[in-house]
Amino acid sequence: MELFRQTNIDFLRYKWIAIGASWLMIALGLFAIFVQKGLKFGIDFAGGTQIAVRFTQRPDLDHLRKVLDAANLGDTGIQRYEDPSKNEVLIRVQQQKREGRDVSHDVQDALRSGLAPPGAAPSKLDLNREGRDSLGGRLTAADPDHVSGRPDVVPADYYGKIAERIIAYRSAAGIFRSTADFDRLPDVSATVKSWLKANCFAGPFVLLSAENVGPQVGADLRKKALLAVVWSIGGMLAYIAIRFRSFPFGVGAVVALIHDTLITVGLLALMGREFNLVVVAALLTLVGYSVNDTVVVYDRVRENQRTPKKEALESVINRSINQTLSRTVLTSGATMLVCVALFFLGGEVLNTFALALIIGIIVGTYSSIYVAAAIVVIWKDLRTRRKLQVVPAIRPAPPPPPAAARKKKSGRR
Amino acid sequence: MSKRVRWRVVLIVLVVAGMITGYIAMGYANARREWIGPGKPSLSEALRKGVKLGLDLRGGIHLVLQVNTADAVKAERDDAAEQLQTQAREQGLTLGAVEFPNERAFSVAVTPTTDEKKLEETVKRFLPDWTVSTAGGKWIFTLKDLARRQMEDNSVSQAVETIRNRIDEFGVAEPLIARQGSDRILVQLPGIDDPKRVKDLIKSTAFLELKLVDSGPSADRNALLSTHGGQLPPNLELVEMAATAGQREQTWYLVQKSAVITGRDLKNARPTQRQLGGNAVSFFLNAAGAEKFAKATGENVGKQLAIILDHRVKSAPTINERIHDQGEISGSFTPEEANDLALVLRAGALPAGLTYLEERTVGPSLGLDSIRKGVSASVAGALFVFVAMTVYYRLSGLNAVLALILNAVMLLGAMALFNATLTLPGIAGFILTIGMAVDSNVLIFERIREELRGGRAPKTAIENGFSKAFATIIDTHLTVIISAIFLFQFGTGPVKGFAVTLILGLLISIFTAVFVSHTIFELTYGRRQHIDALSI
Repeated sequence: MELFRQTNIDFLRYKWIAIGASWLMIALGLFAIFVQKGLKFGIDFAGGTQIAVRFTQRPDLDHLRKVLDAANLGDTGIQRYEDPSKNEVLIRVQQQKREGRDVSHDVQDALRSGLAPPGAAPSKLDLNREGRDSLGGRLTAADPDHVSGRPDVVPADYYGKIAERIIAYRSAAGIFRSTADFDRLPDVSATVKSWLKANCFAGPFVLLSAENVGPQVGADLRKKALLAVVWSIGGMLAYIAIRFRSFPFGVGAVVALIHDTLITVGLLALMGREFNLVVVAALLTLVGYSVNDTVVVYDRVRENQRTPKKEALESVINRSINQTLSRTVLTSGATMLVCVALFFLGGEVLNTFALALIIGIIVGTYSSIYVAAAIVVIWKDLRTRRKLQVVPAIRPAPPPPPAAARKKKSGRR
Repeated sequence: MSKRVRWRVVLIVLVVAGMITGYIAMGYANARREWIGPGKPSLSEALRKGVKLGLDLRGGIHLVLQVNTADAVKAERDDAAEQLQTQAREQGLTLGAVEFPNERAFSVAVTPTTDEKKLEETVKRFLPDWTVSTAGGKWIFTLKDLARRQMEDNSVSQAVETIRNRIDEFGVAEPLIARQGSDRILVQLPGIDDPKRVKDLIKSTAFLELKLVDSGPSADRNALLSTHGGQLPPNLELVEMAATAGQREQTWYLVQKSAVITGRDLKNARPTQRQLGGNAVSFFLNAAGAEKFAKATGENVGKQLAIILDHRVKSAPTINERIHDQGEISGSFTPEEANDLALVLRAGALPAGLTYLEERTVGPSLGLDSIRKGVSASVAGALFVFVAMTVYYRLSGLNAVLALILNAVMLLGAMALFNATLTLPGIAGFILTIGMAVDSNVLIFERIREELRGGRAPKTAIENGFSKAFATIIDTHLTVIISAIFLFQFGTGPVKGFAVTLILGLLISIFTAVFVSHTIFELTYGRRQHIDALSI
């Protein structure tokens, strides 16, 4: 199968339209970032607390809000997370003014007391909260299987393993919805099960994750992310400069990747996506990808320039783009397939990552043609034109045309 | 099969076999480390444990703590002031009031009777780390910069040691405790499911002091001071009683400023159950501590002894008799609290307080979820690519698919061998590598097609295709590797995992695309004398 068989499209004819379109996209992105909503920093960069919990039943967000307001935590944001059927909620709390407060613990305490299910009592254990160690300890103390007298058993180990099985079951099932779930525990004796039912309850939620980022760390991470992006763009510039020994090529590649990064960040902001460390990772991958794509076209241009045939730069570049077109589309397509799989199946964390890459791949493919290649053409055009205008003014006699051609040739390497 | 091709095949088989063996060996090693109970871990266990999983996939807690180094400097200042006073007393020097103008300086007033020459000698001998200046009848002692820096540095390394001891006592598999920058400590504990308890365990300074009680307890501080004429005498201090559940008002003790013994005199501590019910912690003293303790308790039978933890009185039992080398801390402890207190007392006190700068906890069920999603996304992504490649390039596409599978297998092996950590973004890196590895094959195949269109014979087309695409392949891989290196340099945690996976994956992709695919072509077409057409 072949999609493109020796195409001969005059890509660069539309370069001015394309440059206009690029500026429009960048302006749209900048508008989204600076005017409309601003860049929505995730807690990695903004600091604060973020807690993801899974409830036993469909949570009533208004009620949750009331419960958290009562805990006096300042601004809190609550939103559903992942698939609504999973009863998962993401709670965000702003940076606390008072230092040393364990916010994630306070939030959990507030939820626990505000949503206590029937059958909950302070003396009972919450099996949706308890860890292996403490559950094992309680079981050992209660000894429902009566193993303490047996010479062949160390009770702490015996119950430690049972506790581990119970926690593993909870992790795999996601949550204990009610005490009835205790009956389903595999490899646990009936006596332990009845002890669990008498002394434990299924608390309102399971903690999925809790993150707490202080203001200092937030600022640090912001700085590091910016440095990483700046350095990797610098690295690319150096690489291209060394590899192609040509200034306009280097400028073209770097302008293309700044273009890609700006448009991607802008579009993410426009879509209200959160800007966090994982997005920065996606941006850096994108930087690599964008340059990768540009380099393939440049490589071809260089190869085509080696032929002795005299040919205008614009037509060489056009030919090179056409020659690499099917590779460009195929590779972008394959990477895109992978990103689409990540987008739909990878879960919440990888969703924005995949989205950033999907945007980046489209923009990156476009920019290797219409930004990177176009800049080289425009650059050389300007230089030739300037030479043609300036040179006659200095010298009275018009210069012979071959001189200009020779100069142009030496400038290519 | 020509000799050259045979060597290539042998090399490929060796490399792949090496990676697989390495993966399994690392899997056994990892599984054995965590293995409890009799027997050996099974092969399936080893296969699951080959690559170390990051905290975001296996669950656990990631903490960044800041050591409040100023605490250590302040403690040093207090020590120095105390030492100067002790020395002065022993040598019969009279000194005026001691004041603390800031955290790293103290001043001593000199009286007309002070023998300043003798004082100078004492300072030279006992306080070499302090610079002295005089102003308005006061000697001002300031800690030297070098000494302060050393002190701060020591307090951080000591804090790292103490935290490590505590975590070891607590029993966590594969903890990571490392110093980060000048005053930060990174703690990563995989598999922890009770973050609150661990956090308290790490943070508790566990500074234990036993001090003789002058009077108390009382809710009224002034009542305690009234026996001293309403003024706090220089050798005494007021200490608050530790709050117990349900108790609102504060109670105070007036105690001796200098401690009979401190946590440094402990040899061991363990949780005990009291006969009356409730939990307590017994402690045992080392020889030097026992001597001091015996002397103090012998001289003060009938008086109260305050047991002070982190500057709060835990309990103040009455001394019934001379006690030699052990004691008990009682209070309202739960069994876990008693256990943890004994643990931190054994592991030693922190030299300075800690602040949590960053804390990330991932529950075990989220980790399992992420693995499930990551794996299904990877499988789906890979299948999409495989189908696209075979449809577009037919048999040559199968060649690419084989190279991609080898790429994935070798990447797993390399990650195991380098002891790299697989994180959730790392899984994304893994499948992104597949997307990018395809690029090399596409570059080569498109070149071969071009050569064929140009009228070259199939064999020449293959050779030319590979050699012409080579430079471009190196270029494209290097560009992404460069940006991944910066990501590794500046990234943290899971993002670093992404960078590592990407770098390893791309290096392997150069090998599979250029070397393995080429060899497969030669194996398929090399033997035939004449090829009419390529399936591409």
